[in-house]
Amino acid sequence: MARFFREISFIIAISVLGAAFSLFSGLAPLPWAEPGLAAGEIWPADARALQVIWIDARNEADYHTAHIPSAIYLNDEHWETGIIELMDAWLTQPRPIVVYCGSEGCGTSKRIAEHLRDTLPDAEIYSLKGGWDAWLQ
Amino acid sequence: MATIMNRQLFVLLARLALAGVFVTAALPKIEDPVAFASSVGAFRIIDSELSAWVALLLPWLELVIGLGILLPAIRRTSSILVGLLLLLFIALHLSAWMRGLDISCGCFGAETGEASADYRWLILRNLLLLGAVTLVHKQDRQNHNAAPR
Repeated sequence: MARFFREISFIIAISVLGAAFSLFSGLAPLPWAEPGLAAGEIWPADARALQVIWIDARNEADYHTAHIPSAIYLNDEHWETGIIELMDAWLTQPRPIVVYCGSEGCGTSKRIAEHLRDTLPDAEIYSLKGGWDAWLQ
Repeated sequence: MATIMNRQLFVLLARLALAGVFVTAALPKIEDPVAFASSVGAFRIIDSELSAWVALLLPWLELVIGLGILLPAIRRTSSILVGLLLLLFIALHLSAWMRGLDISCGCFGAETGEASADYRWLILRNLLLLGAVTLVHKQDRQNHNAAPR
């Protein structure tokens, strides 16, 4: 048992040293600091201030329950129909495009935004920081 | 004799696979703790500040026990911790699945392009790894008990 505690103390000590290295080398931000934006993200407040084209990348049930007014439903399953609607809106009035999914870590909005950057290289495309949850707050 | 050799080879492969998975999972998260914190927060179990602490410490713990499972000095404890972490991950995925959360796993960092979690596959994968760690731990215990004192 003493050996187990010795080994676990060693493992924890090395892990904490590693974490300290991440902090002091600047790899990781201070955990108590305000969270920042990753590349390609936009804050809900900034997106609200801009006249953007909203893309809802959640599932169909969530979209039908509630969505941001005039948001276009576009995800992997409805790419063909959604992209036509988006092209139509963007070509009529070019504006930034903001993609959102359900929550902070859903990942779908980043993936769809990435696909859209390939499809519309001239457009300004973001994913919404915090997703639908952040929009509701 | 051949059976024992085969068993030891099998345990060695399981050990290497576990080390490979944990080290591979740890490195991108160490490199991008902000994205990993966001994946941790998406499980909606802890707040954002605690998520940032988890994102800072957990990848290093994964790296140390991933390497530790290969090092005779700490491999028994490392295998216990690997098993406990896998149980925790299974519980978290089950909980997110039951709550219908649309999240990316974040298991190997939160790289762009990662699809939404396929919970069945994630849980099955962790159960397979749990099987491997049980095998490794059993062998370590046998070796420990057989060692001269």
